[in-house]
Amino acid sequence: MNLKVFNRALWVYHLNTGSCNGCDIEILAVFTPRYDVERFGIKLVGSPRHADVLLVTGPVGRSMEDSVKRIYAQVPDPKVVMAVGNCGAEGDVFYEAYSLVGPIDQIIPVDVYVPGCPPRPEAIIHGVVMAWAKLEKLVKQPARQAMAGGEVA
Amino acid sequence: MSVLAYGYAVWAPLIWIVVLVVIGVMVLIWRNRGQKSYKKGTAQTDIFLSGVRVPPEGQRHVKSENIYWGFFEALKRLYSGMMKPHTGIVNDYILWLVAVLAIAILILAVSG
Repeated sequence: MNLKVFNRALWVYHLNTGSCNGCDIEILAVFTPRYDVERFGIKLVGSPRHADVLLVTGPVGRSMEDSVKRIYAQVPDPKVVMAVGNCGAEGDVFYEAYSLVGPIDQIIPVDVYVPGCPPRPEAIIHGVVMAWAKLEKLVKQPARQAMAGGEVA
Repeated sequence: MSVLAYGYAVWAPLIWIVVLVVIGVMVLIWRNRGQKSYKKGTAQTDIFLSGVRVPPEGQRHVKSENIYWGFFEALKRLYSGMMKPHTGIVNDYILWLVAVLAIAILILAVSG
C-alpha cells in the first residue's frame, strides 16, 4: 500500500459508548511496547477535533446517542469511523436490548468494522491500516457519501 | 542599550524583546501549520465537552457553589451536625443562650 495523499500522522479519538472495557483494553494494548503503533505516528488524542479517525467501542446505550452524533460531527473532514468489537458492529449479546440504540452504524456511518469479543490487537492494527487507506481515498474525493457501506477488517 | 550585570546573570531588555519576538513568530508559524479543514459555523468549530451539549455563550456559568464544592464535601459531617441546632426558631436560640450562660456562671462560681 502506497500512501501519498494523506501523508501525516494518523490521530485517533477513542469513544466508548458503553463497552465492557474488553475492547478498550485491547486498544490500549496496541500502544504497548509489544505492538507500539505510535512509531508509525498513530496515537490517541483527547478531542475529536484533533482526530482523523473516530474509533468507537460498545453497543451505544440510549443516553449516549446524542453524544455519539455530536462527537462524530466534531471530527474534521476527511474522517473515518472504526467500530471495534462485536457490540459496536452488530450488538452481540446485547442485540435488540431495550436500553440500546445501536449498533453504531444505526447512529453514524461506519467505514471499518473490526469484529471480535474482544478483537486481538493485530486485528485492530489491521483495521487502522484499512482506515488509513480509506482516508487516502477520501482525501482524493472530499465529498463523503453518507452511510456508505463499510469494510470488514 | 544598558546592560545590568549583577554577578551571575545579565539583564538586557533588548535581548528579551528579541527573544519574545522570535518566540512569537515561531508560535505563529506553528499555528499556521495546524488543521485547516474545519468548516466554520458547524459542530467542527464548537467547544468539545466530552460530547455533552455546550450551553450557548452567556449561559456558561461557574456557580459559586461549584467553587466551594470540595469545601462543603470535606466539612459535610461538621455541617450536618451544625445544621440540627440551627432550627431558625428564636425560642431555640434563646434556650441555647440561657443554657450556655448557666454553664458559664456555674463554672465561674465553682472556680471562684
